[in-house]
Amino acid sequence: MTRSPRRERDTPAPPLSLSGRARHYLPFATGGLQSLLQYRSTFVTTGITAAAGAAITVFLWRAVYAGAPPGGGPGGFTSESITTYLLVAQVLQILHANRVDDEVAADVYRGDVAVMLVRPVSYPVMRFFACLPVVAANAVLVGVPVLVLFALIVPLSTPRPLDVLLFAVSTALSVLLAFLVNLLTGMTGFVTTNTWGVRMVKQSVVAFFAGQLVPLALMPGPLAALASALPFRGMVDGPLTLLLGRYDGVAGAAGVLAPQIGWAAGLTLLGGALWRASLSRLEVLGG
Amino acid sequence: MTAAVWRHVRLAFFLGGVGLHRLSMYRMDFALGAGAFLVRVGLQTAVVGLVFRQVPAVHGWTYHEVLFLLGFSLLPRGLDHLFTDQLWELGRKLVQRGEFYRYLVRPVSPLFSLLSERFFHPDGLGELAVGAALVGWSGNRLGLHLTVLQWLLAPLLVLCGALIHTSVKLLFASLSFWTVTSLPSMYAANQVSEFAAYPLDIYHPSLRAVLTWVLPFAFTSYVPCVYLLTGATGLVVWLPVVTAGALAVALTVWRRGVDAYEMTGS
Amino acid sequence: MIVAENLVKEFRLAERKPGLAGSLATLFTREHRVVRAVDGVSFTIPAGSKTAYIGANGAGKSTTIKMLTGIMTPTSGRCLVRGIEPYRHRQANARGIGVVFGQRSQLWWDLSVPDSFRILRRVYDIPDPVYHRNLTLYRDLLDIDALGTTPVRQLSLGQRMRAEIAASLLHDPAVVFWDEPTIGLDMVLKDAVRQLVNRVHEELGTTVVLTSHDITDIAAICDSALVVDRGRVVHQGSIRDLLRTADRRSVVFDHRGGPAPESACAEIERGLPGVSASSAEDGRIRVDYPADRFTSRQVLGFLLERFDLADCYAPEPDLEDVLRRIYGGHREAAPAGVPGARREGAA
Repeated sequence: MTRSPRRERDTPAPPLSLSGRARHYLPFATGGLQSLLQYRSTFVTTGITAAAGAAITVFLWRAVYAGAPPGGGPGGFTSESITTYLLVAQVLQILHANRVDDEVAADVYRGDVAVMLVRPVSYPVMRFFACLPVVAANAVLVGVPVLVLFALIVPLSTPRPLDVLLFAVSTALSVLLAFLVNLLTGMTGFVTTNTWGVRMVKQSVVAFFAGQLVPLALMPGPLAALASALPFRGMVDGPLTLLLGRYDGVAGAAGVLAPQIGWAAGLTLLGGALWRASLSRLEVLGG
Repeated sequence: MTAAVWRHVRLAFFLGGVGLHRLSMYRMDFALGAGAFLVRVGLQTAVVGLVFRQVPAVHGWTYHEVLFLLGFSLLPRGLDHLFTDQLWELGRKLVQRGEFYRYLVRPVSPLFSLLSERFFHPDGLGELAVGAALVGWSGNRLGLHLTVLQWLLAPLLVLCGALIHTSVKLLFASLSFWTVTSLPSMYAANQVSEFAAYPLDIYHPSLRAVLTWVLPFAFTSYVPCVYLLTGATGLVVWLPVVTAGALAVALTVWRRGVDAYEMTGS
Repeated sequence: MIVAENLVKEFRLAERKPGLAGSLATLFTREHRVVRAVDGVSFTIPAGSKTAYIGANGAGKSTTIKMLTGIMTPTSGRCLVRGIEPYRHRQANARGIGVVFGQRSQLWWDLSVPDSFRILRRVYDIPDPVYHRNLTLYRDLLDIDALGTTPVRQLSLGQRMRAEIAASLLHDPAVVFWDEPTIGLDMVLKDAVRQLVNRVHEELGTTVVLTSHDITDIAAICDSALVVDRGRVVHQGSIRDLLRTADRRSVVFDHRGGPAPESACAEIERGLPGVSASSAEDGRIRVDYPADRFTSRQVLGFLLERFDLADCYAPEPDLEDVLRRIYGGHREAAPAGVPGARREGAA
């Protein structure tokens, strides 16, 4: 994502180059929101989907922790904290449902990517901006209601303010990670037409290894080690470790945030490289 | 009337053959779909395994009983997938893009015409195979011995469960006649059907009621499994009634939807 | 054969406001307005005719075709195809009609064309002799074998349209409805399609109802025309009659010596008030005159008297021109803001 020299000439150099560049992408952001809002039923149904998903894991694990001692059952979780974990995990999943994988795959399949290349903007960056309002709308219109609904039914634990702050930072990183993972998933459209199968694998693998269904602390040693080594941990288990205060001082918090930042950078480089490679292939094959 | 039915049955067999032929043409897609499905069920089984690392039983259900339930839930679902997956296309785009018309200009029932475009959806085969394997394995570990009556009823239980899945799918897909696309609500209903893979006893009573009497997914696996595992009849006697009711509601909505489509035609 | 009696179709359209604020507003309220797409149309299309159903965009022709094929139910009035109300007895109607809707495919998307045909053969219970006769015909005229085993979704638009047209005729329907059937076909294939329809029409007496934006298609395939504007029939009769309704005629001539083209034009316009003359680059002069004020004799007499004509001909009135005039007249008469008054280029 290097700055194109041509654009610098085209636009009168703004005092803040970042805001100047963002201006190019702002129409994509509002456009994404607009097309989303056309289907208001989408939010209701996304909410039902999310609530149903949360209910399965929440009730399953609450049954396990029903007889746990007040000091904490397996993995150091209490009934309240495991409920909070699984519920917020589902809310994070809503934030990660940015539809980028669907849309990139569809653009590649239809050959619309070639059209995008004509525009003086970077396609992946455009996709990123287009998904931000989707994420925001999902958070406000789906995430909050689901959270409130469950808070009324099941007891939750109250996090410390500092942990909430760290969680917010970590969540922002998780949204970026989710975008990158979905971008890479969508780009498999360059090599296979059955992106549906690839997306299903991605969904299952991410949900499992991110710790959305089972906290990493409850996995057996080797599995937990594998999950920690993968980028998906930073999408759910990472932020929740911070939210529930399940870390040890500054070093512990850094131990969660640093891998997130590392993976975000790594996946950005990987995505950029693969994107360029795919495009040159596209040019060779003539779309 | 019967002549028309036989005509449709003959066509169904022919189109089933076309579906199998298509499978052989799209072997790679089939492999990817089946592989994806195995990963999904594998991880689902892993979650159950991780749960039972912590406790020996959940609400009276043991590890192998839950796996039996999980496996059994795949059978009606797979059978339904095999024949009715074209309904997803209806919810996704057929009305939106104005393509639904083609089922109205053919001399067969529009519903049949729609479903027949994708008989033998490969994912259904994967589900049936994995489900049967899980049921067989966990049934064996449980030392389960079915009575003759249970053996006879088992296929019917699966069939009724499949019809319930089909009804719910048809109902939500038909909403697209009014809302242009109903994919999100189909997703939501599909997500709700996932509840059926776990013991109903773990859920909030209100949720249990919904799953039994509103979106009756309980009857697709929990109710039959209780009968097969314990022999207790309980709710299973309601299964035919619930199946017939669900089908009736879904077909009514479908018919009214087609009527509405004719009114707008868009 | 095909009868429409006072056919009316109204739609309720949701108002969408432009822009982001509009989208947000649409989340909470939805206003509707009623649009009358077909406005009490009555007509009869005789069996065995080849009729062009002509109208500007949004003039209700697609809607009418949809009612005739049974896809749509009229708001009021009724229509009959072979004595059947299509939307009431859809399957019975479907056996006797063939349909092509321009851009939308009715073939099996991920199957090859031969596979799609094999399915259609079963769906329509096509007898073997008919099936094989038609396949041979398509092989000869449309080169359908060249499509091979490629799945329909990978065919080009032209290839797909060929298959769609063949599919619509496969079961020997008594009536075919073709909505923009030659989109994407090159000239050679357009010609083949014309040959095909004319042959089927001759051999089986098939009734053809065609809508097209391509005037040459209409002229080549159809013998009669049904012109609809804003849901009303404004002309029904042979294409020849339609051309005769043109209110302007033209003469084009070339002359030797005499005045330069510009002054010649000026002289003609002075001598014949209401006539317009223009000169082309090759020196020819085109004279357009209102048919109700001058006869051909008057105009030609005037020209013969003044100029030494080297070459002279009177082109036939252009169908496109005629239609534009029909629509144009109505557009001026239509009060502003009436739905359907919006046009995207006539004919």
